Amino acid sequence: MVWGGTEEKPVPVKFTGMRRELGGMLLRGYLLLLPTIGLYRFWLTAWKRRFYWSHTEIAGDPLEYTGHAMQLLLGFLMALAVFVPLYGLFFYLSTLSSQAAIVGYGGVGVLLWFLTGYAIYRARDFRLSRTLWRGIRCDQGGSAWNYAFRRFFWSLLVIVTAGLAYPFMSANLWAYRYRNSWYGDRQFGFVGSWRQLARPFYLAYGIVVVIGAIGLGLAAPMGALDSPPNPAGFPPLLVAALLIGLVFLYYRSRELTEMFSSVRLGGAALTVKVRARGLVWQHALFGLGLVGSYILLAIGGVVVLGIVAGTAFAGGQFDLDIFMQHMQGSLITLLAIIFGYLLILAAFSLMVELFLGLGLWTLVARGATITGLNSLRTVRARDEDKALAGEGLADALNVGAY
Amino acid sequence: MAIAARFHDGLVAEVEAVELEYQAMGAVGTLVIRRSGDGAELGRWPANTLYALHGRRDELRLGANGQPAGARVVVEGQHDVARVLATLPVLTEKRRQEAGRQVRLAVTATVALAAVIAAYLYGVPLLASRIVGMVPAAWEASLGETVAGQMEASLGESGGLQLCDANPDSLANRAIARFGAEALAGSGSPFDLDIRVVRSDIPNAFALPGGQVFFFSSLLEQAQTQDEFAGVLAHEIGHVAYRHGMEQLISTAGTGALIGFILGDMTGLSVAAGLGATMIDARFSRDAERQADAFAAQVAQRLDFNPAGLADLINRVGADDEFARALALLNTHPLTEDRKAALEILSQQRPTGLEPPFTAAEWRAIRSMCGATPAAEPRTKTK
Ligand SMILES: [Zn+2]
Repeated sequence: MVWGGTEEKPVPVKFTGMRRELGGMLLRGYLLLLPTIGLYRFWLTAWKRRFYWSHTEIAGDPLEYTGHAMQLLLGFLMALAVFVPLYGLFFYLSTLSSQAAIVGYGGVGVLLWFLTGYAIYRARDFRLSRTLWRGIRCDQGGSAWNYAFRRFFWSLLVIVTAGLAYPFMSANLWAYRYRNSWYGDRQFGFVGSWRQLARPFYLAYGIVVVIGAIGLGLAAPMGALDSPPNPAGFPPLLVAALLIGLVFLYYRSRELTEMFSSVRLGGAALTVKVRARGLVWQHALFGLGLVGSYILLAIGGVVVLGIVAGTAFAGGQFDLDIFMQHMQGSLITLLAIIFGYLLILAAFSLMVELFLGLGLWTLVARGATITGLNSLRTVRARDEDKALAGEGLADALNVGAY
Repeated sequence: MAIAARFHDGLVAEVEAVELEYQAMGAVGTLVIRRSGDGAELGRWPANTLYALHGRRDELRLGANGQPAGARVVVEGQHDVARVLATLPVLTEKRRQEAGRQVRLAVTATVALAAVIAAYLYGVPLLASRIVGMVPAAWEASLGETVAGQMEASLGESGGLQLCDANPDSLANRAIARFGAEALAGSGSPFDLDIRVVRSDIPNAFALPGGQVFFFSSLLEQAQTQDEFAGVLAHEIGHVAYRHGMEQLISTAGTGALIGFILGDMTGLSVAAGLGATMIDARFSRDAERQADAFAAQVAQRLDFNPAGLADLINRVGADDEFARALALLNTHPLTEDRKAALEILSQQRPTGLEPPFTAAEWRAIRSMCGATPAAEPRTKTK
């Protein structure tokens, strides 16, 4: 380097978040969801983001999330303005003749799929514009409608080509997202292309086809596809599904690595290494956590049922009739069932957050290094982006994100 | 006494190592930010404009009103953070105020949502019947045709819905049509009744939106008296008169929207959404069943039959089993014992000297209109 003066070493991104801290925050949040009739989810989301952002440190300075729960709540209320008419339409369609209803449902489904793209982009805009690093805010330009159209027509193409067009779609959408992202007055760039994804994708595609064919080929003669299916044929299918899952994780690690490593910000460049075995490990932990928590819940459930309807288990045998007598008109038993259902739901979402959500963030953050950070010292702040109130549509459409 | 910190001015993405100094001048103190090393003054933040932002443990992030939105002073380390907080009690105070504000917001939002739910639970039966009144009768009738078509398609395996007596001018069909017209008379219903007795080994009877009433042969065979047959028929006509089918559709749509709002899942795909909607809707439909029973009792003020027979027939078809009791809270049907008790109260003061709904010849014709169909195990109850 002649012009740059001092040579810069790549700076690794640090992540200091602990699973225990996130777990405690989530448990407290789930408890507060009950008395607030679910409204606390907006506060919980804000807390969760503060956790992720504030523990992600670049060159000694952590990110800061400046969003508030109220903005999310308001955004959700605004999204209702979209959904109430859609609901009316849905209702009207359900009263039409069968064919018209099917066509109508299909139309609404396609519309929702289209709106999901819009929602994803708006939600990203909200998160970026509430992300601060070294006192300078990020932002996102571009048009959410443009993104929604792109995503929609690419996904049509992917369906028509039986998935073969996916690398083109993925690279195109990554490029659109990052080329419209800003840090202060400096625009992000993206140097990736479908060529980087083609090799791992078509490799994975071929392997999945071969594994699927072998699995079906082995299972079909054993009667797994007959009706009723013969359980003896299930093991080859299960093994095939497991192997396909591994291939999928391999591809995902390649896509994350290639695409994140193509992100540029002026003279700064991001490099991310996500290893497939890291992803596999997180998913294995998730599976173990889920099984473990469900075993705990099952034991707890039996104990509670034993207290509520003890005589049904008398003599070591479960007696359905006596059990049903206990259920008769018992509001407590009904409440216990509802509560049990909520517990199962909470355990699942806790495991997803603790192992998949936190796992992925950790893998990406700890696998990331940045070169040319010094070039960012001249970035200046832009005006406040006041246009956004929450990311309601994404919330309403259940578009999962951090 | 200076405290080391990091400083971002919120204008340029630069970080400066700074030293913080607190100057107490007059009533309001000032936080002075000086660059480490040369001591150049980078900022003076009045203490009353300061606020703390969320940071990691042992990290204090300060912003100030009147400064650029991104301007921050970051103090790290347990000891230094404690010192700053001790010097600037206003930070702790503002943090407490902010926490209180968030709690008030959450409580207000929750109370508002609870009010919406309460208004919904008590208002929808009223609102739904209002809205139903605005639905054009022709639309409801065509909706009924659609539902009937779907039902025939789903029952296609067992031969569809075959009329027991295809001749509309037969004695039985004319008697049934006359009973229907008399029952509906004076209710102001815009619909023309179309009562069809069809062959099916499921003992059931139901009303569709728009005036179609289906009576299954298996239920007719189990009816021992005119009272029972006329009671069930009058009950179903009650559903038509009150437009319960349409009301149910509207309240289901409303419940779906409400549950979706609570769960944040407007697509309504989760099990929780389905379960919640079922529980709320069950409440409404039980009210509808009571209303239809009361309608049958009103008809019995004009024609001589005992509406309590309705409960007898339902009881015979499917005695309340333990399972039905267990699910009574979730179930759409009120328990038949309760219904019978309510019907008996309603039928206590019936005028005497009324015409019976059917003559003996007509009742014989109705009883034999389906001929002999194979007796089946009673499973489904009337709705
Ligand atoms: Zn009924």
